[in-house]
Amino acid sequence: MIPDLSQVGTGETKEWAPVAEAPHIMLDHVTKTYGSVMGLNDVSIAIKGGVTGILGQNGAGKSTLFKLIVGRLRPTSGNVHLFGTNPFKNPAPYSRIGYVSESEHLYDWMTGLDFVATLARLYGYTRDEAKARALHVLEFVGLEDVANKEIGKYSKGMRQRVKIAHALVNEPDLIILDEPLAGCDPLARTTIMNLVRELGAMGKTVLVSSHILSEIERITEQILILHNGRLLALGNLHAIRELLDKHPHRILLRTDNPRGLGTAFLPHEDVYGVRFPKNDELVVETNNLSSVHQALPGICHKSGIRVTAIENPDDNLESLLGYLIEGRS
Amino acid sequence: MNMEDDPTDFIRTPDVVAESPPPESIPQTFEQQVEDARNTQMLEAAQLTEPTQQSMPAAAAGAAVAQIQRVQAQAAHVMRPLTNTVWSKLDRKATAVTEFTLRQYRTKNSTWVVLGIGMVFVAMVLMFYGEAMSSGFDSVDNDGDSYDYDGDGYPTGQERIYGTNPWDENSHPDPELVAPDPPEKWIDEDGIDWDGDYSNSNQGYDDDGDCTGEGWVDSESFELPYNQDTNRDGINCNVRYTMNSTTQTIYLINADPNVDEDPDDEEFLKESLHRAFVLGFGKIGFAFLIGIFVPLFLATGLVRDEMERGTLHYIMGKPIARAEILAYRLLGYIALVWPYATVLILITAIVTGFLAPSDSIFRFHDMSAWLGILLASWLMMLAYGTIFCTLGVVSPKFGLWIAIGFGVWEFAMAMISLGAPNFPLTWLSVSHWGIEIINCTSVLAYPDQSYLIEIASMNGDWGSEAALAGFYSPPSVVAGSPFASLLISILVLVLFTVFALFIGQSSLKRKELN
Repeated sequence: MIPDLSQVGTGETKEWAPVAEAPHIMLDHVTKTYGSVMGLNDVSIAIKGGVTGILGQNGAGKSTLFKLIVGRLRPTSGNVHLFGTNPFKNPAPYSRIGYVSESEHLYDWMTGLDFVATLARLYGYTRDEAKARALHVLEFVGLEDVANKEIGKYSKGMRQRVKIAHALVNEPDLIILDEPLAGCDPLARTTIMNLVRELGAMGKTVLVSSHILSEIERITEQILILHNGRLLALGNLHAIRELLDKHPHRILLRTDNPRGLGTAFLPHEDVYGVRFPKNDELVVETNNLSSVHQALPGICHKSGIRVTAIENPDDNLESLLGYLIEGRS
Repeated sequence: MNMEDDPTDFIRTPDVVAESPPPESIPQTFEQQVEDARNTQMLEAAQLTEPTQQSMPAAAAGAAVAQIQRVQAQAAHVMRPLTNTVWSKLDRKATAVTEFTLRQYRTKNSTWVVLGIGMVFVAMVLMFYGEAMSSGFDSVDNDGDSYDYDGDGYPTGQERIYGTNPWDENSHPDPELVAPDPPEKWIDEDGIDWDGDYSNSNQGYDDDGDCTGEGWVDSESFELPYNQDTNRDGINCNVRYTMNSTTQTIYLINADPNVDEDPDDEEFLKESLHRAFVLGFGKIGFAFLIGIFVPLFLATGLVRDEMERGTLHYIMGKPIARAEILAYRLLGYIALVWPYATVLILITAIVTGFLAPSDSIFRFHDMSAWLGILLASWLMMLAYGTIFCTLGVVSPKFGLWIAIGFGVWEFAMAMISLGAPNFPLTWLSVSHWGIEIINCTSVLAYPDQSYLIEIASMNGDWGSEAALAGFYSPPSVVAGSPFASLLISILVLVLFTVFALFIGQSSLKRKELN
């Protein structure tokens, strides 16, 4: 047999037959330890379809979870199933997934097109086919203009997008994005978030991790929260937020006259206190966040005091975690 | 095959096309119809190479053959997807990883530095070689008969012929009758008579007659060697070669006095220097130094660097087995270093071919020695590359240090192999088997090697025989059979490679990529 060096034939990627009706990802009491450090502690989940946000602080086990799913790591105990097989031993299911790691490293000497096309050839596509697919996905992520530029000259957002492009080149059913928004500027964030939403709309199973609640909120409602290697919550974000809203909350307002504005807020029935941490800051304490938020514009307008910023210091992962952990104990 | 390219196309005439069998009437897809039409055209063109005027039975037979061929062609067409999925997909991944590896090498400065140093090293050694070959050597008087000990103007050899006393100033031939010889006449007096026939043990000829006394003026032969058969083979004034029956090499030469006494020093010195260079540079320079340093710097990081930088998952996250990745990365390494070694050895072979002592402009009979060196360096680069790459995978942190330690061991074994090729410990090293390959092919290139060494050491003063003897040893694995030794050496090196590859692959399979 003569090797197909010219690579002119049609690429026929033999579909790897998955176990019927199996969840795309299934973790069965999975524990992963690094020496004495716990990476993931007795996690069991099954995911199929939709966009799922993985939330957790740094070190919560998000990357460990992904690495276990794509077969980079072997679980210390328990079983990981990717399309019904063990991903650490069997590379076949990789043909149906696209994985974007958190790693900042890329092959800086390659052009974006080269990078995507070369790696696409590892799926068994011919040179031409790989190039055509690479151009297609680069267009999808909006990098067609810089496809022939070296990756070393890309901006942070472009680098993230070229990583996403390389993961989409095989038209995967399952896409795993590890911190795709890390270090991106707001414009790149919006682009990538739109991309992820679009992928979800295309019917793919997408896993996307972040440590910033608001980012995930803009992408999906289905979330999974990890904390210290444990699965803390799995479900609809709004359901969790409803619970959260009934909890003591703070609203921070920046203004020239905090005392005047504080006086305006006190009559509201759900406000139980105001504080002035700095000369230009007012903190309103409440038991019902949404009702105060509804009344807030009117109160500000009536008082006639200029407000330069409104923040919800509690509307972040830490307070969510705090609440969930407290609620548990 | 395309119709436009077909050389038989011009024979085609319209009336014969009309005679061709009608196409099959099975319902087909459009693509198959196009394929069929092309097959029919090809078959017609093939038929038309025969005379166009055929009898009816012949035409029928032709049609039947065409039918069979078409069925076969269709069967082949149906079979194609199998090869397309199994073999060509494999090599698509292989070429992709290989190509990637080569392009990655191109972007690394270390690649150019390592390959450049190798080039400079070879160029420098070649300069020394050229210097040695272009400078003349003064011939040495090995038996001392060119000296005029008594100062009477006649060299000792001439005084012996005329029967005068070489130690007495007043005893010399009559200057009126015999002019004194220049001393050079008594240097390089006897050539070396070697017919290359090992079975003929009686060789050598007394060219100047100072053993036989033939043609001497004075019949008084008191200066003649009175014992003309010191090697006791029953023949006066000859040379006897003693063979080692297992290795089929000469290990002792017994010459009667004054036979083959003063060979042409320059010729012998240059010949033995040249061979010592080919063997020494081949074994130590190419097979060992370049063969170990290039892999040390280029192969150790093949997979390890990707693992350390955290970029390996780009390749591993694809439907490609980890074992394949290691093998294809090594393929990329081989695609770089084999042509590199070939170019270096080719340059050296060509340069030395022109500079070496030879009857023609270019010296061709070193070629099999160079081919052996090429083969040895290829296999050693492959074996070392695989071993170093595996060390990098097995222990990313200490792999390089283990590799350096391994290199020291290999160096020690290479040195022992040069001196004592039969020392069994050396069998555990790669370098021993590489050197053995060169030994085997050099025997084929220089069948009279051991003779040259023996003659050189018999005649003494050159010193080059030490170098030649140091770098030469006959095949030792299967004594006396260079081909068997060569085969075994190649096999052992391939086995080392496969073993190292296996270890590396199974280690990589178990590796966690954090």
